Amino acid sequence: MGSLEKLMDIFENPQKEIDEWKKDGKKIVGHRCLYVPEEIIHAAGMLPYPTFGTPEPISKADSYFQPCACEFVRNIFDLSMDKKFDFLDTMVLCNTCDAVRHLYNMWDSYIDSVPCYMVNNPQKMYDESGIQFYLHELEKFKELMEDLSGTKITDDALKNSIELFDETRRLLKELNALRMRDIPAIAGSEFLRVSMASMLMPKEKANLLLKEIIDEVKDREIKDGDGPRIMLTGSVMDNPTLIELVEEMGGVVVADDFCTSTKYFWYETKPNSNPMEAIARFNLERSVCGHTHPVSNRYDYMNELIDDFNVDGIIYFNIKYCHPFVYESATIKKQLEEKAPVLILETDHSLSGLGQLKTRVQAFIEML
Amino acid sequence: MTTKVTAPGKKNLETTLEISKAIRAYYAGVKLAKMEGKPVVWSYGLVPREIFHAAEAPVLYLEHLPLMIGAKQLSGHYMQIAEEEGFSRDVCAFHRCFLGCSVAKEREPYLDKFFVSPDLIVASNLPCMSETKSFLYSADYHDAPYYFLDAPINTWGKDVPEYAIDYFAGQLQGTIDFMAEKGIHVDWDRLKEAVRLSKKLVELWREIDVCRRAVPAPISSVDGLTAAYPLIQLPGTQLGVTLFERLLEELKGKVERKEGVLEDEKLRLMWFGVPPFYNMGLLNYGEKYGAVVVKSMVEYIAGGGYDPAILDPDQPLKSLAYKALIDIVNPTAENMLDFIVDAVNDFKVDGLVGVVKRSCGLLPGYMRLAKDTVYENTGVPTTIFDLDGLDIREYDDATSKANLDSFIEALLASKRR
Repeated sequence: MGSLEKLMDIFENPQKEIDEWKKDGKKIVGHRCLYVPEEIIHAAGMLPYPTFGTPEPISKADSYFQPCACEFVRNIFDLSMDKKFDFLDTMVLCNTCDAVRHLYNMWDSYIDSVPCYMVNNPQKMYDESGIQFYLHELEKFKELMEDLSGTKITDDALKNSIELFDETRRLLKELNALRMRDIPAIAGSEFLRVSMASMLMPKEKANLLLKEIIDEVKDREIKDGDGPRIMLTGSVMDNPTLIELVEEMGGVVVADDFCTSTKYFWYETKPNSNPMEAIARFNLERSVCGHTHPVSNRYDYMNELIDDFNVDGIIYFNIKYCHPFVYESATIKKQLEEKAPVLILETDHSLSGLGQLKTRVQAFIEML
Repeated sequence: MTTKVTAPGKKNLETTLEISKAIRAYYAGVKLAKMEGKPVVWSYGLVPREIFHAAEAPVLYLEHLPLMIGAKQLSGHYMQIAEEEGFSRDVCAFHRCFLGCSVAKEREPYLDKFFVSPDLIVASNLPCMSETKSFLYSADYHDAPYYFLDAPINTWGKDVPEYAIDYFAGQLQGTIDFMAEKGIHVDWDRLKEAVRLSKKLVELWREIDVCRRAVPAPISSVDGLTAAYPLIQLPGTQLGVTLFERLLEELKGKVERKEGVLEDEKLRLMWFGVPPFYNMGLLNYGEKYGAVVVKSMVEYIAGGGYDPAILDPDQPLKSLAYKALIDIVNPTAENMLDFIVDAVNDFKVDGLVGVVKRSCGLLPGYMRLAKDTVYENTGVPTTIFDLDGLDIREYDDATSKANLDSFIEALLASKRR
């Protein structure tokens, strides 16, 4: 089995990684969001584990959340009620949207098996007073991780973790750059799987596999890779169904802007003698998510993607009731249309209306 | 099929009529200020009003203007305009309505009495994040400078740490600096005075609140929602204090005379969520059963749920920061749930009516928690149903009334047992 296949397999069956990690009694800290400081979890000797949803219909969570709450968040809560996250030793959320704020309330009130913690991150980026506030919050979080792991987190351990995670980001970015070519070396749907798998597993292992994958694919060209070049952006994308649909319709997904892919690795930590400050600045000096301010930096980042990847058309994917992106879509459409045509798709997290989406995507690609 | 059988709510107080006049006078003042060339601010929910009053700044508030035109059943038209502009129907009805007003090519004469374009915008993510983005669209549209005031989510309950207060106080100072750049200057002595008046206002509100607990209830929430206007829009003003002094006086008289909304009060309800501003008569609907809506959470949404002792006029920014951070709608849920349980006990509430505004990212998230917490702590049941308080296009009168019928009948049956 090649390394690409290995990572695809981990994406499909992450349980093996979980079992492997836990067999020596090591702990796993689940989280939901890009802005949770994974490096602090890792420096305490624990595995940071991003929780993703499933395409399954929601059952129990619907009697706790109103149906007008973000379906992705309801999905995560549903899985937690079904004890699918009971392998976690704790769950960490952060202040990124109203639905996640309520997920914290709900988790804290109804899920006894896994404690939940909220890291209070400012939503205003590039603000010194915000950095100072956030440093207090990070210190509290660090103490929590020390208590949970029974390990004192040293500056050296933090620096090592920062370097390790930055290495993952560099490798993912290098692999992603192979999509800039006229005929990309890796398909968008493959890349999302690789990116998500590398987030789920220990970075020490992921980095080795990523290096091998880059060697494996760098000389290849994907089949039918000369169609319209599409960038996908919007709400969290935790399965490749929509990307596959675009590919099936003749589009080539050369770039994406999701927290499960590019948002995760586009920026690296800037050098800083104080590792906690380095982490704080890393999180508060990258305006990649819909919840962040000012938006001008986010537009710059997206324009950079459009230019670098030579994008012909943009699909903006909104999960219903995903407010940061639903609110942003009308504004950002105006901005992005200066660069390329934009299609806004508003749909369920489970992508239940796939037939309708197919028609709209097909028409968009034909128009391109 | 949707039926639209709507009615205005019945008001019983003379002071609420005065408050209504004060509202109209406020908007006329904003309009006049614009005509005189003064810069007009657009702002929102929990940005402390005291700062604007201390600068004598004319301000339009995102959540209040839609309410005004919602009461005239005009909000649907402006939401439609926002939807045509590309905004999803999942965007908060208040935001959609305000956006529609903001970008409309022509405005109804009624709206035109209130609407003024912005010269600057002060946005915040308190209590919900949504408005920061919808205001951005308006800022682009009107080419108005925009300031974002970031508030931490309250994960501490009432023991907010100093570093969080400092952060938000710094954000308030940033707001003051931003306004100064645009020609609106906050006078420090006036700000201290505004905090003193704000403290007085909340002290009066608490006395009013005690009066409202009387059985029979001297006023229903229809009056209560208008009565809350000074608390929400006029903290830091002498006018707000004067109106509340009169309100307190009037209420005391009613309580002394044992004058209730109903002669034979059988049930006391509390409303949780946004009431239907286009059909406030729905809050009177249960009165045929002897049920009075004695309290509505929305009346307390901006400053009604805290101890005024926290306000220190000599530390105005820190005081305002603390007040905003412990507000009941700054999630997480701890302060909100404490507030509801206390309210149910203090007001001898028999049942909680929770209404879900489909497009709201904030209040629906509390519903199940509120229902369980209230039941566990007081034994009082809750009904929850869909009702968009602003978008009349989504309103179903028959279903809303049927929901109230069945809940009230069940409560009455339970009382008989």
